[in-house]
Amino acid sequence: MTVTDSPTLRAAVPPADAGAAEGWSAPAWVPTRALGRTVLLTGLFLVLGVALGRVDLVLLAAPFAIGAAVGLRRMPRSAPELTIDADGDHIVEGGEVHAAVTVGNPDVIPYDLVVLRTRTSPWVKLEDADRPFAVRVEPDGWTAVDLSGRAVRWGRQDVGPAAARVAACGGLLACRPVVVPAAGVRVYPETEPFAATEALPAAAGLVGNHRSRRPGEGGELAGVRPFAPGDRLRRIDWRVSLRTRDLHVAATLSDRDAEVLLLLDVLGEAGVSGGVEGKASVLDTTVRAAAAIAEHYLQRGDRVSLAEYGSTARRLRAATGRRQYLTVLEWLLDVRASSDSAEDFVFGAHNVSSDALVVVLTPLVDPRAADMLAGLVQSGRFTVAVDTLPADASAAASGPFTELATRLWRMERENVLGRLREHGVPVVTWAGAGSLDLVLRDVARLASAPRGR
Amino acid sequence: MAGRLSGGAARVRRTVTRATILPLLVRCGIAVAFFGALTVAWPVSIVTSRYAGVVVLAALWPAVAPRGRSVTLVAIAVVGGWIADTTWYDSRVALWRVIVIATLLYLGHTLAALAAVLPTDAVVNPAVLTGWLTRAGLVVLGSAVLTVVVLSLTAGLAGGAFLLATLVGMAAAVTATVLIARLLRRP
Repeated sequence: MTVTDSPTLRAAVPPADAGAAEGWSAPAWVPTRALGRTVLLTGLFLVLGVALGRVDLVLLAAPFAIGAAVGLRRMPRSAPELTIDADGDHIVEGGEVHAAVTVGNPDVIPYDLVVLRTRTSPWVKLEDADRPFAVRVEPDGWTAVDLSGRAVRWGRQDVGPAAARVAACGGLLACRPVVVPAAGVRVYPETEPFAATEALPAAAGLVGNHRSRRPGEGGELAGVRPFAPGDRLRRIDWRVSLRTRDLHVAATLSDRDAEVLLLLDVLGEAGVSGGVEGKASVLDTTVRAAAAIAEHYLQRGDRVSLAEYGSTARRLRAATGRRQYLTVLEWLLDVRASSDSAEDFVFGAHNVSSDALVVVLTPLVDPRAADMLAGLVQSGRFTVAVDTLPADASAAASGPFTELATRLWRMERENVLGRLREHGVPVVTWAGAGSLDLVLRDVARLASAPRGR
Repeated sequence: MAGRLSGGAARVRRTVTRATILPLLVRCGIAVAFFGALTVAWPVSIVTSRYAGVVVLAALWPAVAPRGRSVTLVAIAVVGGWIADTTWYDSRVALWRVIVIATLLYLGHTLAALAAVLPTDAVVNPAVLTGWLTRAGLVVLGSAVLTVVVLSLTAGLAGGAFLLATLVGMAAAVTATVLIARLLRRP
């Protein structure tokens, strides 16, 4: 072998076979019962006509024979092409969803009948989506069935899967059902209006919108004090200096930003969701409230992070700005009730920055959530609990003692809430705008007290 | 048993309440076509007697269950009645009766083929129905022309069946049936 010989190289990727490249296996066209009937009746009438010497019987078979010949003169060769298109641009709960199922006919004969069936998520109300659609598709053409409607609940909703069954050649041949997987539609939660005017308890960093409690460079006037070495000349308050005949400077509080951690309790779901216009379940309230709080603090320039308290334990790192708001909305779409109930989840104060305001959105149904809250407060985190349990939540009546048991459970829950308040956890029921103002004031007062135990 | 009955009743009620107009019309068309075919083919004495209820039931059966063997059996019953009427009741083989029976039999058959694949609660594009009926109309028209031509040609030969012609006819019948069946296997 000389150096000029080209080395024999083997393709690293095995060559794809033709069938796989086409995307479907052999076209699955099968004869229908109508074809069997055509053959049977034609044969029977012809044989009877000849055996009895009757031309009229032969003529009775003529339409069947002519129909079969007309229908089967050209055979379908390929499978129908089915696609689902769903318009997925920034749909908010209650918004319009536009979806379409398109059947393409790559063949040379028309599809006499295409029966389309679609399944959609229960939270996407599409017009007539529960009915099959019967359409005709011309050769080398396509037909689209428009499915318009409303998305009534947040989350990743499915439009589809869709199935098509095609009859061709006058109903003598039918195609095995062609199924396409569902197309996803992202439905963002509707944010309830939320505003909190109270300052955050502990602002960190050197930039931001919150006045801190520390003197420094900022816009908020803290007072006037005598000039000291190191003060900048532009800070001198000339009016006071002239009056007092001594140099005074205007002291300001430094502007700081803060981190807000929204902790979502997904240990369980309670209540029945009625969509955007119906009653809200625990997860509905949790997600909508989280979106509203995140929007509020992100607009003010704070850093917002999110975390789930549940088996999945997802986290979203702290960041600020509009991009983070969109990321938060995307992150919220995947909030699910935790399925695993036996495990003891590890979520402690070590996961939380010491300066962060922790807003825990919880129905306080699971005792582990109460333990976690108490642990957070004990370790000195600024914690606010938002009660997301619907006011009318109750167990489905399954026996004569259900109502009594529900009342007992409610009393026990009130007891837990009282004990949490004793521990210093402010618990507030979610009520949209101004929900957190009162408790934030309390937490801020706590924060101004000396830290440490 | 009672549970199965109530389940069946609920299913029937659901089917009826969800039914749409065009699939219902198709099924009505099947019943009308087979009723017409049975009425024209069977002897008048039977059709007008107390057995008329049987005729109506026989016509309704394929309309209710177009997916089963009902269509085949009712079509055979139509031709059986026709043979009986022309053989034992001494009716004349009239041109209009042959054309009407052939037309209605084929219409019943092709509408049953449509109803077998068309769910009763479907939202149907009218183009489906017009396309289907246009094709059926062309087939019926062609066979009617064939009937007129053939019956006028063989008017003088009616009743005269020769052995050779029978054998040739039998071979032609078998060949035609096999040809239709083989059309499927064509590449």
